[in-house]
Amino acid sequence: MQEPQFEFMREFLLQQSGLVVEESKMYLLRTRLQLLVREHGLADLNALADKIKVQRNGELANQVVDAMTTNETLFFRDQYPFDALRDVMLPECTANNGSAIRIWSAASSTGQEAYSIAMTVAEALPGAAKRVHIVGTDISEQALQKAASGKYSQIEVQRGMPARLLIKYFEQDGNNWSLKPEICNMVKFKGANLVSPGLAADMRANGPFDIVFCRNVLIYFAVDARLEVIDNLARCMREGGFLVTGAAEIPRGQHSEWKSVPVGNRNLWRLVKKP
Amino acid sequence: MFGKVMVVDDARVVRVSLGRIMKSLDFEVLKCEDGQQALDTLREHPDVKLVMLDWNMPVMNGYDFLVSIREMDEHKQQPMVIMVTTEASIPSMMKALAAGADEYVMKPFDIEMIKSKLDLLGVAYQQ
Repeated sequence: MQEPQFEFMREFLLQQSGLVVEESKMYLLRTRLQLLVREHGLADLNALADKIKVQRNGELANQVVDAMTTNETLFFRDQYPFDALRDVMLPECTANNGSAIRIWSAASSTGQEAYSIAMTVAEALPGAAKRVHIVGTDISEQALQKAASGKYSQIEVQRGMPARLLIKYFEQDGNNWSLKPEICNMVKFKGANLVSPGLAADMRANGPFDIVFCRNVLIYFAVDARLEVIDNLARCMREGGFLVTGAAEIPRGQHSEWKSVPVGNRNLWRLVKKP
Repeated sequence: MFGKVMVVDDARVVRVSLGRIMKSLDFEVLKCEDGQQALDTLREHPDVKLVMLDWNMPVMNGYDFLVSIREMDEHKQQPMVIMVTTEASIPSMMKALAAGADEYVMKPFDIEMIKSKLDLLGVAYQQ
């Protein structure tokens, strides 16, 4: 890929989704966008960049953002957030909050995290699952469609999923596995851009959230965008609400304040002051 | 080394590929071709901590092996058992878990799937 086209794509992805592609990571574009180049019958990545330059908001531009931001994920990834949900967050929310409990999977990709949350809730609060509302958001339309279908391949359902829960919450059709309606119906999916100034307004109908999962997402944003994302999340939460980040991610906002809550050898975060 | 793992499968190609995965995770790997061989090996190596177990095998199948080791009381420290099989149906999974299998992998498998099952069981391995 030629330098000007690479520079344009870096700038385009940063503007469109807050995604930072480092100068040394041209290969990322090559591996993730090659299929699109082929599907659209384009000569190479340069031709793809030139096409996006002409139409920054078209279908192809959306597909590029999709391909660059969709990350492969697995059920119950890292396990400890789901243990902390069961042992710390849900008990506290049920004690403090007689009404609904609102949980947000803020970069839900193809849905595994949101559904892992739903299964954890169903296991921990069997009678009270109807009180819990879970929403999954992502910037990628394609990922959202797959998430909403609740359908996974035999390989996907075996990554991170305990066999006991697979038996309990899935229906099998050959090599395809579908979540049962009792889990699917606990989760709604919608499009949202975490760096958009309109995020709080977009999420108002679903919040304010008691618990937010936003894991392994901040690392992809530039430093300024990270501050914005954290403040944006805080605007959608209630004070005292929990934030779950990736192990190495510390929430720092410009206008929000957080404190850490140690759980085992990891940290959860609580919102002390809203922006 | 993270301990001894037994790979039990009548198909050589599976013993080799699964054995290679487990070796790369720094386990000592013992290979067996059927349930009877696995029983004999387990008697010789009571410190095996994990068995990766196929279901359909000649001489003694994986299910019968599982039932017979779970009935033994001389092994105070029972090995964990992950079924690794083409038996890919909910009733088969239920039957294996009821008989004492700790986890279940439907073939085909890859290293990520195996690692995620080890994580679920809290089995340490070379990261």
